Amino acid sequence: MKFIKKQGGNICFALIVIVLALMPLFLNAGLLSGSSTVLFLGKCIAFAIVAIGLDLIWGYTGILSLGHGLYFALGGYAMAMYLKLQETGGNITDFMHIGGLTELPLMWKPFQYFPVTLIMIILVPSLVAYIIGYFIFKNRVKGVYFSIISQALTWAAYSIFIALSTYTNGNVGITEIKTVFGSIKGSAHRTEMFKLFYVALFILVLIYALAKFLVNRKFGKLLIAIRDGENRTYFSGYQVSRYKTFIYVLSAAIAGIAGAIFVNFNGSITPSQMTISYSITMVIWVAVGGRGTIIGAVIGAFLINLCEYNLSSGSMVEIWQYIIGAVFCITIIFFKGGIVGIVKEQLPALFHKLKGKKSSAETVKEAQ
Amino acid sequence: MDQFVNTLFNGVSLSSIILLTSLGLAITFGLMRVINMAHGEFVMIGAYTTYVVQEIFNKYLPESMRDIYYFAAIPAAFFVTFLLGSLLEKLVIRRLYGREIDSLLATWGISLILQQAARSIFGTQGVNVNAPSFLNGGITIGGCTFSYNRLFIILMVALCLFLVWLIMYKSNFGKQMRAVMQNRTMAQCMGINSRKVDNITFAIGSGLAGIAGCSVALLGSIDSTVGQSYIVNSFMAVVLGGVGKLLGTVIGSTIIGSASIFTENYTSSTIAKAIVLLIVIIFLQKRPQGLFVIKSRNLDE
Amino acid sequence: MSNVKHTDDYVLEINNISVSFDGFYALTDVKTKVKRNTVHFFIGPNGAGKTTLLDIICAKTKPTAGTVIFHPKDKEPIRLTGMKEYKIVQEGVGRKFQVPSVFVNLTVTENMILSLKGHKGILDSIFRKPSEEDMTNIHDTLKRVGLEDRADARAGSLAHGQKQWLEIAMQLLQKPEIIMLDEPAAGMGKPETFKTGEILKEIKKECTIIVIEHDMDFVKQAADIVTVLHEGKMLMEGNINDVLADKTVQAVYLGRGGE
Repeated sequence: MKFIKKQGGNICFALIVIVLALMPLFLNAGLLSGSSTVLFLGKCIAFAIVAIGLDLIWGYTGILSLGHGLYFALGGYAMAMYLKLQETGGNITDFMHIGGLTELPLMWKPFQYFPVTLIMIILVPSLVAYIIGYFIFKNRVKGVYFSIISQALTWAAYSIFIALSTYTNGNVGITEIKTVFGSIKGSAHRTEMFKLFYVALFILVLIYALAKFLVNRKFGKLLIAIRDGENRTYFSGYQVSRYKTFIYVLSAAIAGIAGAIFVNFNGSITPSQMTISYSITMVIWVAVGGRGTIIGAVIGAFLINLCEYNLSSGSMVEIWQYIIGAVFCITIIFFKGGIVGIVKEQLPALFHKLKGKKSSAETVKEAQ
Repeated sequence: MDQFVNTLFNGVSLSSIILLTSLGLAITFGLMRVINMAHGEFVMIGAYTTYVVQEIFNKYLPESMRDIYYFAAIPAAFFVTFLLGSLLEKLVIRRLYGREIDSLLATWGISLILQQAARSIFGTQGVNVNAPSFLNGGITIGGCTFSYNRLFIILMVALCLFLVWLIMYKSNFGKQMRAVMQNRTMAQCMGINSRKVDNITFAIGSGLAGIAGCSVALLGSIDSTVGQSYIVNSFMAVVLGGVGKLLGTVIGSTIIGSASIFTENYTSSTIAKAIVLLIVIIFLQKRPQGLFVIKSRNLDE
Repeated sequence: MSNVKHTDDYVLEINNISVSFDGFYALTDVKTKVKRNTVHFFIGPNGAGKTTLLDIICAKTKPTAGTVIFHPKDKEPIRLTGMKEYKIVQEGVGRKFQVPSVFVNLTVTENMILSLKGHKGILDSIFRKPSEEDMTNIHDTLKRVGLEDRADARAGSLAHGQKQWLEIAMQLLQKPEIIMLDEPAAGMGKPETFKTGEILKEIKKECTIIVIEHDMDFVKQAADIVTVLHEGKMLMEGNINDVLADKTVQAVYLGRGGE
């Protein structure tokens, strides 16, 4: 019992991973209707990864970033640029042509090479996050001010990104791309799809392990300390702003990795992934799953996206928006701990209460 | 010279729109410390209310009288959003005082619901409001044209600002409101019904968003996301001005509005806005509390 | 020769400190010296500027005029005014705030681990585990404040008094030369207050303690030197009996029933 209580999160994560790992087998056995489910679950893996990063910064450190979509998209674009160049064989793309370019722009050049792309997927979001985080945290901008500023930054980045359409293809984004393993469309390419899926799953396990490792060390306790009492942490002799910058950069890098995985499964990336509302959607996953628990982020990302996937077809689209809005609102007001909080605290408390009532009723009876 | 006056006029005009959408925020965020992400949706509701009032007038009144719809739309927009604001405060905001970040998130949930509601009722296509005929055209002085509807918006902002000032600093309710915001427990001890004050204050903030919606309706087509495009600038205006200061919000809006227009001379309008926001963010690094700082001796803000 | 020895005795020099908030002078020309290994109390009615003075020593507030000089043992004097607060902590001046501010979501031991001296860097916090010596040290310190059997409890579940002691223990762990305590006995019952006093008397062997307090019994129990502040100015300084006997002090402070 004590073991389950202590290791509950990890057991739950292991179960999720096992079920996911079985999915391709189900598909081969004909238990799934088509490969779209696997592709969708691949995207969910990407979402779970970005949610873990978000949980580190928001759930543990208490910094609410409304701009993680930006880092997600930066990683995604880095990947997409590489994949697009694979398609064109290193030549300029159609939209550049239309934009009047005759030569591959400098900013695209590094993405001809796979190893460089892998580095850029992590480096670009990290660098942007470092520049922003360094100044903002050094100047002790915190709480809602940080959220509002991150929101404005995201909006500004989004606008500029769209305006530079010769380089980024504006609103349309980068489309019609294959994956790092080539095409995964159709049943002929199942092996490639499964390869991609297992690589993504492996990365999820790695990121989860990394996050768990960090939060269990003194570092993790410090993040909680910063969240609960920033000034107090300064007075304990820690340079809080450095810690905040570090965790912000780390979670941006994780978001970049997630974005790169997402692009492979999605086959395209658009600027809508870097909007404020997309960023807040990610926060919703973490909040509903349970902030500050890591496993909650994973659960939330899978659960909400699965529900959306199954509900938001046809006439349910409208209702889905109402449901997600209401669920989010109710979670924030009444269930701060999200699903994990309900299972870990509210249910046992309720159980206890029911039991307590029963026994007190019995004592009353006995007294009579 | 004409060019300059024109730019200046456009700057004042944009500033006044930002100010109109920020005024409500200055109250809900500045005074009550509630981050209402659904504020933009109240602007949208105000705009749709204007549209509905117009349709009703078009249906039931002779053509000659249709123009006066706009004068009915302003109070209508105010009351609709006022009531909705009051309801929102009772259902949601009340439980979130002192939890700023949670208030931001919960109201985002509300804004999702409101946007979807707008789509369900009015469809995804944008609808248009015809500006009353007396607002068409403009006056030309020298080489500069001042369009009536922009002049009208400026006038409306001035009026709203005056009314807010009157309510906050001259009325009995304003006194109670400031008392509650400054020291809740003390105000309660003096017999002020702080719950009621909270509720009405929040409702006034929302009502102002409704009025902003009325003027936004004059500027272009209305759809479910119309409020979102104003909200980022409005929040930044409040933060730049210094949270909790009405004057700060006025100046913050003016700076953001006119800087955007002046930058537009050199680049496209979206990039101009983006650049201005970046500059504001850099400025806030120097003065995280904004232009006007309220000194406090609180240990942990 | 005797002169040098004399300055060595003092661990903190507060030189002509003034501070104004928007023209209101919270402190005017305050100057005093704090002796090493003593419990030095600052008392005075509300608004006398006691907390502001602590804020200035630990650089939370900038003074309008004046300096604070810290004389570490066997080292050059350090000017505290203008330094960053975490640097000041690292130099060995610790502070406990008025409101108990332990990290409620961490256990008592985790709270203590965060307070260990040194290794405050990010990499250390990730890869370095506290040494055996550190853990023994933590255990011993918890024992001194009587919390050894609550080591694994969540700090948020401690009683008010216990939280205060935990904070004092956390300060001790940093091996500071000076500990500043802002109303450590506030909200405590008589037995708890008495125990706090005994803890202070015990730990002054190793460091200097600056305390702000209202509770006169507590002051009598633990104080070596008392400085009385009134409306931002220094009224008098001396041992507790002299202070209690002073007519002006009685008029401004004790006369108001400050028990």
